[in-house]
Amino acid sequence: MNESYPYVKLFGLTFNLTNDIGILVTAVLAFCLVFWLSRKPQLRPSGKQNVLEYLIDFTNGIVKQSMPGPEGNRFGLLAFVLFVFIFLNNQIGLFLQVDVGGKTWFRSPTADPVITMSLAMLVLLLSHYFAVAMKGFGGYLKGYIEPVSFLLPINIIEEFTNFMTLAMRLYGNIFAGEVLVLLIRQFAFSGTGGITSLIVGFVLEMVWQGFSVFIGSIQAYVFVTLAMVYVSHKVVSE
Amino acid sequence: MASLGDTLFLLLTFAVLLFLVGKFAWGPVTKMMSERSDKINNDLDYAENARTEAQALAEKRQAELKNSQADAVKIVSTAKQNGEKQRQELVDAAHAEVATLKANAQQDIAQQKADALNSAKDDVAELSLAIATKIIGKELNADDQQALIDGYIKGLGDVNGNH
Repeated sequence: MNESYPYVKLFGLTFNLTNDIGILVTAVLAFCLVFWLSRKPQLRPSGKQNVLEYLIDFTNGIVKQSMPGPEGNRFGLLAFVLFVFIFLNNQIGLFLQVDVGGKTWFRSPTADPVITMSLAMLVLLLSHYFAVAMKGFGGYLKGYIEPVSFLLPINIIEEFTNFMTLAMRLYGNIFAGEVLVLLIRQFAFSGTGGITSLIVGFVLEMVWQGFSVFIGSIQAYVFVTLAMVYVSHKVVSE
Repeated sequence: MASLGDTLFLLLTFAVLLFLVGKFAWGPVTKMMSERSDKINNDLDYAENARTEAQALAEKRQAELKNSQADAVKIVSTAKQNGEKQRQELVDAAHAEVATLKANAQQDIAQQKADALNSAKDDVAELSLAIATKIIGKELNADDQQALIDGYIKGLGDVNGNH
């Protein structure tokens, strides 16, 4: 991860191949995992179906925390896919980082602020869309002067802060984690302490990877939770 | 920076993932989960109904059992009474019959005794008459003779003790 990426220009757009490969791989992984878990669902669940149902209950619980009413029912799928996708995005770069020819070809897509901002934008756009769809355009606009009208500027600023905090929190955690993974690797192979640095680096890397798995899971949970909180602010009429 | 291309790529990939997961995994599994919760609800309702019904049946059975016990007691006591009555009737009838038979038998015996005595008296009278006729050769008036013999026999009876 040396901040030098392969770029491709297509249809006048620039694509960072590192991000796109990572996104594609995690999306395919996520689909294969969930697809495999969901084969032959039965009334009496067993084995892998229990895993999937536990996951679904977990994300449904996140949705219900912020939207206990019937509004929450339509966001279950979004929360589930968002959680699985971000979780895999966070983890995948911990185990596989590919540098070829001085360029990084593979790492966690969520270690790029563009990707996390895209995810945050997706969530916030959906929240605006559903606010209009469920409360009407008037009700949506009225949300900006609640609870009192002089809070209008603060409410508008909040839209941007929500977007930035949602994106930057995820990016910062994952980026920092991967930088440290890289630094420990460089230390282990630097040859400064010979075999000792290799062993110490190996142990440190293992410890840090384990901790990063934890961080990645927590960040996926936090992202989905906050996304649902922001959506509920928009959608639920008090 | 390559923001727009990556953003579009991410949105497209995420939309496709959302669609595919929703169609192939989320749909069937959540359907099964809601079916299960429906089934559990139904089973709970059914169990509740069954429990209520069973309780009602048990109460009904208990009441019927009590009734049938009372019936049984009544039937047994009636049967006892009937049996007692019948037995009494039989005994009474038997007593009465025995008494009648005894009375009849005594009557018969007395009758036969009297008949035998009378016929013996007649025989003795005729016999004595015949003997006397032969001995005395003189014919007595039968009535006188009868009186004579009656007197004689009475004397005999007194000698032998009262008959």
